[in-house]
Amino acid sequence: MTNTVRLDRLIGRKILTGNNRSLGRLEECRAERRGDSWIVTEWVIGSAGLLERLGFGVRMILGMRTGRSFVARWDQLDLSNPDVPRLNCSLEDLKRA
Amino acid sequence: MDVVHDVLDKHITDRNGREMGRVDGILLDVRPNEAPRLAAVVIGASALGFRVNPIVGRWVHGVEYGVGIGEERPIRIDFSHVAEVGEKVKVDVTVAESGAETLERRLREWILKIPGSR
Amino acid sequence: MKKIFNLLLGVVTSIGGFVEAGSISTAAQGGTEFGFALLWAIAVATIILAMLAEMAGRIATVGKRSMAAAVRERFGFHYQMIPLGAELMIDLLLLAAEIGGVAVAVKLLTGVGFQWWILPVGLVVWLVIWLGNFSVIEDGVGLLGMVTVAFVVAAWRLHPGPKAVAAGFVPSVPGHDLTRYAFLTVSIVGATVSPYLLNFYSSGAIEEKWTEPDLWINRTTSYLGMGFGSIVSMGVLVTAAVVLGPLQLRVDSYEQAALMFVPVFGRWAVTLFACSLGVGCFGAAVEITLNAGYVLAQSFGWTWGVDKPRRDAARFCAAFTTVLLVSVVIALLGFDPLQMTLISVALTVVVMPLIVLPFLVLMNDEQFVKQHKSGSIGNGLLAALTILGALMALVVIPLEIFGG
Repeated sequence: MTNTVRLDRLIGRKILTGNNRSLGRLEECRAERRGDSWIVTEWVIGSAGLLERLGFGVRMILGMRTGRSFVARWDQLDLSNPDVPRLNCSLEDLKRA
Repeated sequence: MDVVHDVLDKHITDRNGREMGRVDGILLDVRPNEAPRLAAVVIGASALGFRVNPIVGRWVHGVEYGVGIGEERPIRIDFSHVAEVGEKVKVDVTVAESGAETLERRLREWILKIPGSR
Repeated sequence: MKKIFNLLLGVVTSIGGFVEAGSISTAAQGGTEFGFALLWAIAVATIILAMLAEMAGRIATVGKRSMAAAVRERFGFHYQMIPLGAELMIDLLLLAAEIGGVAVAVKLLTGVGFQWWILPVGLVVWLVIWLGNFSVIEDGVGLLGMVTVAFVVAAWRLHPGPKAVAAGFVPSVPGHDLTRYAFLTVSIVGATVSPYLLNFYSSGAIEEKWTEPDLWINRTTSYLGMGFGSIVSMGVLVTAAVVLGPLQLRVDSYEQAALMFVPVFGRWAVTLFACSLGVGCFGAAVEITLNAGYVLAQSFGWTWGVDKPRRDAARFCAAFTTVLLVSVVIALLGFDPLQMTLISVALTVVVMPLIVLPFLVLMNDEQFVKQHKSGSIGNGLLAALTILGALMALVVIPLEIFGG
């Protein structure tokens, strides 16, 4: 069964781990063209929040350490409930951004 | 392609380079055990309103109905029609086919009645 | 040669277009109540404006996007909603104040109450935009605005002591009414660094089709044009200081402010003041109206441009027409234009950090400025400005209550 989800409402949502802790917020969706379709390959989850979204300039000037960012493969994120996206793997399985 | 960085909120133009608006939303098809697929780009005030809050989106859609364009809003363009993603997003449909210029056309009829409109 | 001519025209029209309701009212009050002591505030505010305008011009010239478009694309609609909404509300109020300023100017010339002139003034503003194109509007308004040089002439003819004037460029703590002094300092910044000016300037760069080889024109117009323009503002302050200061009054209306021309221009005082106020406010009214169209069209992706046939930019036309109509209605409510100006100036300061912060990111993003990024000095200044803006935003409302 296909569920149509608004990507723009997914972005910015908190991603919960298996034990209901917040890993960070969904920042970006990476996709690849395959034939006629664009398929999601990866999700970027950032944990520095607002400053992360503000970008490089602010972090550099304020001298803050880069926030932790993770990259999850498409199958490592469970979107069956789009209001509460969840990781369906352990933290160690995620790539660092 | 980074969908949020490269597509969302960008200008969208039709096959002839004419302005269609901005990418106000993006729809994903999510199926169990399959990679999600980018389904469509969405254009329109109600799409933006919905992005802020579903209640705001419904209210704006109501206004669109009031103005007579509610039936065709928000405008959905299947992602397979996205031809190029660069400074602008180019799609291979025309603005007329998409319905994105209905309001512009209606306002144009009013403007042509005003003297001095060139 | 053509480029030099255009540059000179750009600088001259920047001078003519610099003063309007906000700068006249804050400079007049500042001069009357604190002598030359707030000259440094005008100078600092102008440097801030020139710096931000040059950056906005750079983004438009290199990245081919206006400020509103750049903010939407880089930060998304969720961020943009707030400064966009705030800017529109401030612009509605400021536009009403500018229209009121023109109406008061016409009243000074004719003796007929200013409320009668609001509708005709609104109509003329609309007609100028409807029938004009960008060069005609910008150059016409700017050249007519050269009448405001009367403030500089008046200041010169009053022979203020050069040492006293120079001392005004050094920030100092006044001997009286610190709250009022702080309020006027912040108001002068708010009156000078109007958000509408930055988007208007960047939209203008796109209307005039500047390209990378024109970046030197952008730099020169921003710094020289606004620099010379600020001399007119300083002229208002100095004239008010010398003429109205000793009268120990608080300038609460434009009619009172007009008295500052009497010693220098005698029976022409009211006429010249009215022309200066009227033309200055009229130019600002046209720019704010046009900018409202720009900001809405650019944010939502509609076709825009005053050089385009009106039928090809219908939503843009509807947008600026609607904003003008709403402002005319606000103006018709009858509030004193000078008081409306001061409120909108205070609100500008509240929103300022949200306007400045995006520059910090955009000026370091190759997508918008390619290799013309802000260096470490530019970034440092922007960061300092964001913090300063945040501090001013925090204090302006309490200052308005206690010192306004």
